[in-house]
This record gives sequence, C-alpha cells and structure tokens, in this order.
Amino acid sequence: MSTATIDASRRRFDVKRFLANNGALVGLLILCLGLFIATPDFLTGPNLLNIGIQVSTVAVLAFGMTFVIVAGGIDLSVGSVAALSAMVSSWLYVGSGVSGWIALIAGLVTGLLVGVVNGLVSAYGKLPSFIATLAMLSVARGLTLVISDGRPIKTAPEVSFLGGNLGPIPMPIIVLVASAIIASFLLNRTVLGRSMYAVGGNAEAARLSGLPVKRIVVIVFGLAGLFAALAGLLLAGRLDSAQPQAAAGYELDAIAAVVIGGASLAGGLGRISGTFVGALVLVVIRNGLNLLNVTSFWQQVVIGVVIALAVGIDVLRRKTRNA
Amino acid sequence: MDPKPLVTLANVTKSFGPVQVIKGVSVSVYPGKVQVLLGENGAGKSTLIKMLAGVHQPDSGEIIMDGQAVSLPNTRTAEQHGIATIHQELNLVGTMSIAENVMLGRTPRKFGMVDRKELRRKAREALALIGLTIDVDTLVNELGIAQQQLVEIAKALSIHAKILILDEPTAALTRHETEHLFKVVEDLRNHGVGMLFISHHLDEIAEIGDSVTVLRDGEFVAEVPGSTPEDELVKLMVGRAIDEQFPRQKNSQPKASLILEVSKLGSKDKFKDISFTVKAGEIVGIAGLVGAGRTEVLRAIAGADKYDHGSVRIRNKPLQRGSVEAAIKAGIGHVPEDRKVQGLVLDASVNDNLGYATLQETSRFGLADFSGQKSRAESVAKTLRIRMHDIEQPIRSLSGGNQQKAVFGRWILAQSTLLLLDEPTRGVDVGAKVEIYELMNAITAAGGAIVMVSSELPEVLGMSDRILVMRDGEIAGELDAREATQDKVMTLAARDTDEDL
Amino acid sequence: MKISLRQIAAVTATAAILLTGTTACNRNTAASGTDKVVLALSTLNNPFFVEVRDGAQAAAKEAGINLEVVDAQNDSATQANQLATAATGSAKVVIVNPVDSDASGTSVKALNAASIPVIGVDRTVNGADLASFVASDNVAGGKQAAVELAKSMNEKGSIIILQGVSGTSASRDRGAGFEEGLKAYPGITVAAKQTAGFDRATALDVTTNLLQANPNVTGVFAENDEMALGAIQALGTKAGTSVKVVGFDGTTDGLAAIKDGKLVATIAQQPAKLGQLAIQLAAKIIKGESVEATVPVEVVSVTKANVADYLK
Repeated sequence: MSTATIDASRRRFDVKRFLANNGALVGLLILCLGLFIATPDFLTGPNLLNIGIQVSTVAVLAFGMTFVIVAGGIDLSVGSVAALSAMVSSWLYVGSGVSGWIALIAGLVTGLLVGVVNGLVSAYGKLPSFIATLAMLSVARGLTLVISDGRPIKTAPEVSFLGGNLGPIPMPIIVLVASAIIASFLLNRTVLGRSMYAVGGNAEAARLSGLPVKRIVVIVFGLAGLFAALAGLLLAGRLDSAQPQAAAGYELDAIAAVVIGGASLAGGLGRISGTFVGALVLVVIRNGLNLLNVTSFWQQVVIGVVIALAVGIDVLRRKTRNA
Repeated sequence: MDPKPLVTLANVTKSFGPVQVIKGVSVSVYPGKVQVLLGENGAGKSTLIKMLAGVHQPDSGEIIMDGQAVSLPNTRTAEQHGIATIHQELNLVGTMSIAENVMLGRTPRKFGMVDRKELRRKAREALALIGLTIDVDTLVNELGIAQQQLVEIAKALSIHAKILILDEPTAALTRHETEHLFKVVEDLRNHGVGMLFISHHLDEIAEIGDSVTVLRDGEFVAEVPGSTPEDELVKLMVGRAIDEQFPRQKNSQPKASLILEVSKLGSKDKFKDISFTVKAGEIVGIAGLVGAGRTEVLRAIAGADKYDHGSVRIRNKPLQRGSVEAAIKAGIGHVPEDRKVQGLVLDASVNDNLGYATLQETSRFGLADFSGQKSRAESVAKTLRIRMHDIEQPIRSLSGGNQQKAVFGRWILAQSTLLLLDEPTRGVDVGAKVEIYELMNAITAAGGAIVMVSSELPEVLGMSDRILVMRDGEIAGELDAREATQDKVMTLAARDTDEDL
Repeated sequence: MKISLRQIAAVTATAAILLTGTTACNRNTAASGTDKVVLALSTLNNPFFVEVRDGAQAAAKEAGINLEVVDAQNDSATQANQLATAATGSAKVVIVNPVDSDASGTSVKALNAASIPVIGVDRTVNGADLASFVASDNVAGGKQAAVELAKSMNEKGSIIILQGVSGTSASRDRGAGFEEGLKAYPGITVAAKQTAGFDRATALDVTTNLLQANPNVTGVFAENDEMALGAIQALGTKAGTSVKVVGFDGTTDGLAAIKDGKLVATIAQQPAKLGQLAIQLAAKIIKGESVEATVPVEVVSVTKANVADYLK
C-alpha cells in the first residue's frame, strides 16, 4: 500500500467517517433542530440555561462512569452513592452541627470512600464490578434510608449554594463545566487516564507492561464515587434538601449517556466530550417532550430508541474500523 | 486432463475505505488440482478466498464459472455454485452429533419429524467419501480438531462441493494428522475436486500443491509450479532474497558480566529446581514440549507470576518476586506468548502500545509526556521498520509481524537489557521473522541478553548460543548450540514419548 | 500492603453489613407483645408512609400488639412475597398498603384463604375481601384543592397540573377530584398536565421545562407535597407571589412551606391517624369485635390560617 494515497485521502473530509465518529453529536443537532422547528420555546436563553442546569447532575455522574467504563468496568451504585453522600452531608450539618463547608466536604469524602470500597472489592476481592457495585447500590441506598429514617433532610447553605447562582450564572453549570474540564484533563493528559484506557483495552497486557492495574482500578472507582457525590450534592443543593430516594435509577441514565457518547462497554474506548453530548441528548429529549406536553411514557420510549440507535452507530463504527 | 478451470477470479480488485487490498489479481482453480495461495500476512489471501465464499464482492473484475461471469452476493449462493470453505475456525455445533452437523440445514424429515435413520445413513455416506469411519452419533465436542476438520470437509462434499477452499487447515494439526489430511486431499484430487490451499508452512507446498499463486501487498506476483524450491518461494513472497534464515553469529568468547542468575527456582505444579545463568551478549534458548513449563519459568522471572522457591538475581542484585514493575526497573522486557491476549491493547494506537512500559517514568507531576513519547515512538518504529501509515493508527490493523515488532519496540523504548521472549515469531511471516532475528542480534551486540522460549526447533537451534531443554517442569539438559541437533534436543525433551513435534 | 488493603475492605464491608443489619433488626423488634400484626407498606421512602408507620407503631405499643413492619419498596412483586410470608406466619391480622390495588388482589386472596383478616390502608385492594378499609377521601381532597387554588388565584388564570405515578389510585382520585372541583371555575384553564412521579427532583425539572413553554401560568396543582415543593423550587421567588401552588398530603416540609408563604394550601391527610386507626381496627378484630367496612379519615385544607394547628 502506498503511503501517499492514504495521506491524501485522509486529508479529504470523510463524511461517513465523521458521522460514525460523532454520531451522538449529529443526533443531538438533529434533535435540537427538530425541537427548534416544533416549538418556539426551545431555543430561548432561559431554556438553554435550564437545560444546562438539568444536565449537570446526570453529566457529572456520567463523567465518573466514563472512567469506570473506559477502564473496562461498570458502576451500578452511582445513583445510590449520590443520595448517600448528600444525605451524610445534610445529616452531619443538621444533626451534629458541623460547619457547612465541612458538611460539603464530608459528602464528597463519603462518595470517595464508598467508591474506593467498590474498587477494592472489585480489584482485590476479584468480584466482577457489575456484582460488586450492584451490592453497593443496595447497601448505599439502605444506609441512606437508615440515616434519614426515610425523611428528607435540609441541606447546608454551602450545599444549597451549589444549586444556586453565582452572579447571573447558575452554579450547577459552573460545577458542570469545571468537572468536565477536570475529568477530560484526567483522562487525556495524565498517566492515570492513559492507564485507564490500557487497563480497559487489555488488562493483562497492561499488567505485563508494568502498569499497577489493581491500584488503577481502585482509583477509578474512587473517582466515580467522588463524581457521584458531587452530583448528589448538586441535586440536593437544587432542592435545598437531601432526599432519601434521590437519584434512584440515575445509574442507568449515566450508563446511557456514556454509551450514547461512543464508549464501548467492553472498555478501552470513551471520551468525556462524548459523554457530555450523551447526557445532553437525554436531557434535551426530556426537556423537549415536556415543552411539547408529551406524557412521560413516550419519553421513556423515545429514550430507549435513542440508546438503541446510539449503540447501532457504535456497531457500525466497529465494522468500518475492522474492515 | 480437463484444462478448463472450475472457477476463475479474473483481474479482481477490492478496497476497504481508502485502502486497496486487492489490486488486479487473477487465480484459477482446476478440477483435480491443488492451487496454493502464498503470501505474507496482509498480502490479500483471505480477502481473495472471501470473494469466492460470497463474503466479499470484488469492486471490479469478474468471477467466472463455466465460461460465465457469476455474482456471489452471499455465502448461500457460493454454496449453490459448489464452492465450500473450510475456515480455520470451524463452523460446527459442538453439542450436536456428527450426523446432525453434516446434515445441518438439510435434516431429512418424515411426517414432520426428524428421520433419524435417513440422517445417519446420509451422514455415513458423506464420511465414506473421505474414508472416515467414526460413529456418526458421536458429539462433535468429543472429537479432536483434526477429526472435526474432516467432518467439515465431509459436510462440504455432501452438498456436492466441486471447489474446496482450505484456509490454513494444517495450522492446528500435528505432523501425523497433517499426513492424514493430505491423504484425504490426494483422494479428492483423484475425484476431480478442485482445491484452493492456504498455508504458512512452505514445506507443505511441495508435498501437496500443483501450482502456486504468490501475492504481495495485494498484487499478483507470479504463478509457479508446486515444485519450486522454498527459498525461491520466499524470495517471491518477500520481494527480496533472504540470505540467511537465521542470521546469528554464534559467539564463543566467554562473557565477563553476568546479567541473569536464576537459582533453584520452583513453583508448585509448574516447575522445580530451575537454575541457569545468562551473560551479556548471549541468547539462551529454552526448548521443550508444550506444557514442559518453559512459559511458566519465563513468566516467573518477568514478575508476571509468583514462584514458591529459589531466587532471581539481575546483575548481582536480587529481584523482587512477582512484581512486573520491579522487573522492568531491573531492565527486564517480557514479550509474552500471545501478543493479542497478553501483549497489546488492540484498540489503542501504535504510539500508545509502544509507550505503556515508559508511561510512568517519563511523566512529570502525573502528566503523560505526549510529545516526547510520540517522537520516541516514531524513532523506534522507524528503526524496527514497523509498517503502518500513521503512528496513531489502531494497532489492531497492523499485520502480525508488525504487531510483534511493536511489542519489542516497547522494551527498546524502556531500554531493557534482558529480553524474555516467548514464541517471538509465532504468527509472523518470513520477512518479518528475519527482521526480528536481526533485532535480537542488535540487542545482544549492544551488551544485552536474551532468553527465548520457542516451539520451533530450527529457530532455537539457529538463533541460540546455548540451549536449555525442559521436560516436565525441570531442566533436562543443556546443549551448546553449535553442537546441538534436532535429534539431541528431542531426545532430552521427550525421553519417553516419541509422538509429535 | 496488599493484605492490609484487603483487610480494610473486608472490615469496611462487614461493618456496613452489621450496621444495616442491626439497625434493621432493632426496628423490627422494637414493639413487643403477644398478638402479632403485620403492616405491609408500599414504601418507606416517602415521609407520608413513614408517618403511617409511626402512627401505627405508637398505637400498637398502646394496645400491646407485636407489630411487624415490612416495606415493599414500591415493588408489587416484593409485596407479593411479603404477603405470602405473612400468610404462612403467625400473624393474627395483616394490614396492607398495596403498591398496586389490582396486583395485590391475589396475595390478599391467599390471606383470605388462610382466614387471616386483612385491613387495607390508604389504597384499596381489588378482587379480594378486606375486613376493613381505612383511607382518606382523595376525591373529596382533590375537590378541596381546586377550591383553595381557585380562591388564591381570584378564580382566573392558567395552571399546571403535576400528576403522580400514573396508574396509582391516589393520583387517579386526586386528579379526578381536582378536575371535578375545577369545573366550578370557568375562568381557570389547564395549560399543561405532566407526570412528575410524586418525586421532588423530577417535579423541579418538569416544572422548569413547563414554565418555558407556559410562562404565564399563575397556578400549580401538585398531586402531592413533594412535587409541590419541587415546583416551588423551580418557581423561585414567584412561588406564593405571582404563582400559587397547592399540594396534597400535609407533610412536615409541606406545612413548613405554607408557614413561609411559598405554598398556598395543602390537603392534609392524617397519615399517623391512618396508621393508628388501622391498628385500633386490628385490635378490635383480634378481640372478636365487629368493624365497619370503610373507615374514612377526614382530609383538611391547611392554609396559612390554620397551619399552626398541624405543625408539630
């Protein structure tokens, strides 16, 4: 094969390749265009801000999930961990009168610790992450209910600030952008991030190349827990209250966002930008269908179809790459 | 003999995306003849046979049968035209009987139920075509690979295949089994079946092939008789003469500095009492039968597995047990047995794969050194002549030989001084093999050392300075490579068995 | 290092399990007595049912009944299992708050067959016999909500309705009652009707979205207080001023919001009373006394005027 011809054709803009690599983004744009035509309320400043706020929880959860999925695992506990972290924070604030900042940090530390336990069980206990985190899904939700006795608890003002505004800009959007930058930086620029791709792509090859695979797995789950805690605090902050049943089922939204964003559940592939687009797709669908006053039953149908389409595009991409 | 071909691929081309993999190739299969397709990995052999099997369609050119151009849009049409393919991965249902497999999709029925009697009769008839006499009620799972292959051939013949495509049928067979297969092929030849045969074993070509079509980089190179000498075939295949298959300058001068010292190494149920030393500039080969514990010893030294007894010293310093990181720090580079499963992250780029072992040590404040890594990787890729169009291309798309060179390249980047090679040229074609051998020479010439496990005796004999022979987890003997012969090695390796290898 | 990490993991996991386990056990064996009654609740993740439980536990202590509370976590299948267990156990009476009125029919039939009397709480059971049914009148409550909302909006304007989990009788009855009550006020139109699943966070997002399409609404009716609180969060400073919100249930948070002027009214059920009455009925049945087939528990409109009476 001659190198010259290939280089020339690579420089040409390949529409098919672009579509295959950015299916989610194209889907999102089509979705937005459709909603723009269908309702004048969609493309307004306030509604876009509103979408930004609503996407923050799912997106932050999904960033953490991206680490795990890139490293070849899955974390089913993020929704419960989000609820537990927010609950611990509020419980400490209301119950033991610690300062709001400490309550906020305690929430984050809770998520981190629970994530690390997930990682330890999965890496050293040799349980598949699916099972380890399925157990944690139940344990963390149970602990949330134990702590709260099934009742919502008011959040610390510092946590509520996360759900408020900084000047004209909603804090959830600031937190979202900051965590996207941090997550993207971690995944793309650091040794840790590059190692995640290697571990997810082929854990044995990574180990034989001297990468500390088990330690990486623990850190990855710890990060997922930390991001889940942040998402939980964001959600609680927006409601001014930590809810015992908060973020139930959000793990599936997070996984959907990551998959729509082009990651492979087999590991080794995935981008933060893709995940962000994936989360936006989910939220824009819900927002749009609300604007159009469509019942939530149809929302679920539509979201299911979008996930199927996204995975279909993933399969198509593999085909073109492996040919 | 009928000079009219059963099928002809006439001047066919095929592209995948921007890459043209077949560039105007013509091949014919004649009744009662074995046509061999020869070429390195990536030369286009499998694309060609997939055209005949109805999996791929040519972009241009024609498939001609009985003087007529035909189109084979799917595998079913190909079968209807009498073309059957025996793939490396067999298409049999392991949990069903031989009879059911042979008649799969054509199960005889009576009153809407399976007619078992007829099923068995037809299956026996099919097996008889190739002289196979096994109970047709045996489950396919219970058969060895060789017999499964024969069942598949019987199945193909029972649907009246006139053209049989055999894709590396001997790759997984022992010598004895291969001989049996060739008898079947001989028999089919006499019955006028035309065959297209793919093999990496050059010695088999003279034994079985009538004519050889040589491909290189998707292009037709030559068609030569089956009796063409091996080195001539290699030259056609690689595009240049390969002077020496094993370019090792055997060095007899004693080396001063000791690099590796293994003493009394033992691991439960794997190996025991393994002691040997390797000096700078030396290549030590470890021979033995599969299962003798060679790979396990290598993995133990590399830190991939833990061992129970003994010690490993590198340059007179003890090496921590069971730590890959420590082994790498001590200058060890391990090229594992199965590069796809243990060596490479297939979806990652060539660049990433080259850099894994040096990711941590070249980082600053936890940040990966991207630009430095890329320039180092590019320079190593150039030195090793890794053929690719872009260093960011997924390593999956490279040929086996180039993938293997990338695993080597990782350790060259890491400046390893002791390489532990496990089957370093498995699945690597002739041209790349020699390049890997030359690389081994360069490493030892620079003061490094190599321990090589290989099941290919000519390779062990040709490249090692000393040979350790393992049997049942122990070192059965040591031979100076200049005096060693295949017989001597095999006597040590298999004192009580004379089967295989 | 590795060993110690593994130990930490093991200790943490064990601690977590012990913690949950012992707490749960304490909860279940808190009351002691001779006659056992099982209270099968649809969920304990909703403060309303927590109050039902608390009322029942207090009454059980008083009546000397050994009360066992089980939580179906809003899953009909879980509840079916729990009721099957109760049918084979030593329970004298089973009080059930069905996850789904239809789905629980089979399970309650099994209890009927085992001659264990069943009392329904809050939601009825279809297709089986109940010894008694204690419930708030949701339809009447819905009508009262319409009256309160209309009053606060001066009987004109457009509103959003936040529906509960579709298919539940509470959502159906409250919605039907509300729309029935709204017929008396032709000046009020319904701009949008969406479900928010009785959940505060969902209601926040749904309301925010609906406000984009319907910026001129001046009223919100939420089929429970949790959703009303979510809507208030979405409305921000508009809540209680330019947009009036009416909820349902009278939960602690809901009542606090009324006090703050964010929530105009809530239709207070008396969950503790539901639980208390159910236990009192059970005690009667155990003693062999007869009980009425339906025991209605009054619902009250709570506004700023009378909120002090309900705030504990």
